[in-house]
Amino acid sequence: MKQFITVLKFELANYIKNRTYMVTTILMAVVLGALMFLPRVLDLTGLVGESQGSVAVEESVLEEQEEQVNEEESSQTETYLLFDPNEIVNQELLEQYFPGVMWQEAESEEEIRTAVEQQNALAGFCVTAEDHFTYYVFNKSMTSGDTEIFSELLGLVKQLNYCEEHDLNFEEVSQVFQFADQVQYEEEILGKDMVSNYFYCYAFVILIFMMIIMYGVMIATSVTTEKSNRSIEVLVTSTSSNSLIFGKVIAGAIAGICQVGIILGAILLSYQINREAWNGFLDSYLNIPIDVLVTFALFGIGGYLFYAFLYGAVGALVSKTEDINKSSSGLQMVIMIVYFVVLVQLMNVDGIVIKVASFLPFSSYSAMFARVAMGNVEMWEIIVSFIILVVSVVAAGLIGAKIYRMGTLRYGNPVKFSHALKSVLRKE
Amino acid sequence: MKLEVKEIRKSFGDTEILHGITFEVESGVALGLLGRNGAGKTTTIRILMDVFKANEGKILLDGAVFDRKEHQIGYLPEERGLYPKKTVQEQLIYLAMLRGMKKKEAAENTKKWLKRLEVDQYLNRKLETLSKGNQQKVQLASTLVCDPEIVILDEPFSGLDPVNSQILKDVVKELIEQGKIVIFSSHQMSYVEEFCDNIVIIDHGEVALKGRLQEIKREYGRHLYILNAENYEVSELKNKCEKELADYMVVQELKKEFLVLKLKEKVGQEDFLNAILHTDIIIDVFGNYKPSLNDIFVARVGNDGTEGEIK
Repeated sequence: MKQFITVLKFELANYIKNRTYMVTTILMAVVLGALMFLPRVLDLTGLVGESQGSVAVEESVLEEQEEQVNEEESSQTETYLLFDPNEIVNQELLEQYFPGVMWQEAESEEEIRTAVEQQNALAGFCVTAEDHFTYYVFNKSMTSGDTEIFSELLGLVKQLNYCEEHDLNFEEVSQVFQFADQVQYEEEILGKDMVSNYFYCYAFVILIFMMIIMYGVMIATSVTTEKSNRSIEVLVTSTSSNSLIFGKVIAGAIAGICQVGIILGAILLSYQINREAWNGFLDSYLNIPIDVLVTFALFGIGGYLFYAFLYGAVGALVSKTEDINKSSSGLQMVIMIVYFVVLVQLMNVDGIVIKVASFLPFSSYSAMFARVAMGNVEMWEIIVSFIILVVSVVAAGLIGAKIYRMGTLRYGNPVKFSHALKSVLRKE
Repeated sequence: MKLEVKEIRKSFGDTEILHGITFEVESGVALGLLGRNGAGKTTTIRILMDVFKANEGKILLDGAVFDRKEHQIGYLPEERGLYPKKTVQEQLIYLAMLRGMKKKEAAENTKKWLKRLEVDQYLNRKLETLSKGNQQKVQLASTLVCDPEIVILDEPFSGLDPVNSQILKDVVKELIEQGKIVIFSSHQMSYVEEFCDNIVIIDHGEVALKGRLQEIKREYGRHLYILNAENYEVSELKNKCEKELADYMVVQELKKEFLVLKLKEKVGQEDFLNAILHTDIIIDVFGNYKPSLNDIFVARVGNDGTEGEIK
């Protein structure tokens, strides 16, 4: 135990004295924390909306702003072409549905094609029938909704024509058919709000994935460096390999958790201070319930340690740092699969796949967290999953220590992780 | 103290590397552990250091089973390596603490050994900024910083200039005088001869030769004589001897200044001298030959490990 503490202190000092580690931690915490104060010094109402607690802005000012926006929009006018030989589309409706667009009549479909190709117009529509049109665009943007808006417009034209033909009052009919808009309701979520929990859950799954990969490789590199500079023989003859690997991994884990904790803590705390100024804009990412944070911390640390021990063992199997990626590819593949499975299953957190994944030690760190944040999970499930994870972490530590011991004095070609594991288990 | 290694066997996979190594070493008497590359010396040392477990055999200290954790062992491995980016002081204190020392004691010992090895001015310098020789001395300091009862030195002189070698020689002599168990592994036979009273030669995982160095030398030198003539060059003398004295002797080796001869069985020294008098050889030098450790080593393991004679 004393030697483990010695190794732990030495390795932690390595991180603390590492300028990159310290600068990154402090700089990111300060910069990201400061970003949360931005709405206090800059007017972000365009982005976050009006602050609920702020003094009501006078109407005249609002109008002024509206005019300003309209002016800006008009200055950003784009040209669209329309070829409508049957005169189906109403010009007034076009302007309503496509504000800020300057419409020009085209003489033919070919004219639209040429103008769009030469980028004289952003897009063009050729309306061949009440229920059919062709849309021309040069580069279609990710957010383009032109075709949907135009389809809606044609739908409205159809409704107007129908009402006119059957002598119906369009206003009355539309009020009846759009009754849903007038329904008032109140919502009381008794379980979990998947919509609001989804975003931070998504962010945390990515965060823990990045932590495992990034710090795992750092731990493996630390072990391999001792092999490549040949200090490993002095170390393994000075103390037990268990003290060495446990000290190294726990130090790496503490360093990683501290770094992420400080940065995340600075962001969350700053956001809580400035939440009103943000008008709750980042609530879906940063207003995280405490029980979810605790689950994330417990399962995250467990999963992180589980993989950290295995990365430590991988580090002992290679002699050169450039071989680490090759040797850890199998491990990284498992982490990637878990990452994708959990992300894909976030929409279905009560499904069987994520339920199974939440009990497996190599995936529970993110699957169980997602279930706690968004799904229905019983307390006994959390306890059983956590016990399995803790037992697995201890097993990974012991197996990792054995592989470490076996690998430390083997130089030359990298030893495959699977071979090392088989060899260690066979000896057991 | 007496350290006994008894019938140690070690296999890696299906290959047995050590086939029953046995030797012993006592306090105040240095043991030279010799062998060709790959003979099994390092594996033997690593078993002593508890890095590897022996498949069979045992290690005893004063008759009791040797537990490496209960004793301070200073080990200087052949593959040198410390932390290049760390200061000399930081890493020596760390290594001493890993071996169970308290920080204060470790710091004091660090200073003591760095001073003794004349590198105390580099206490706060990063290792990578030191010359190779000074790094070597820091490595030796890391071996001795825990005041070990048993010292195992694997090629301690490699990379040292004559001045630094002399410092190291003095330190090794002091360790022997202090009654430490010193195991000394080297390919530089002159150093082994200088320090070691006992030797063990390991070859192909077996003890090929062991015992007191002087006795081994005497044994190997029995029936061996040197001969030089005033009227013949060494090569001419060899031909002359082989032609005219073949019934009495066999030429073992042709050295630069003399021949090494082995008298045949039942041929005494006087018989041989009488025989020479009947030739035209005018004797310049004639006497007993004392083989060097190098001669013995080459004779014992030089010919692919098969027992040979001094050539």
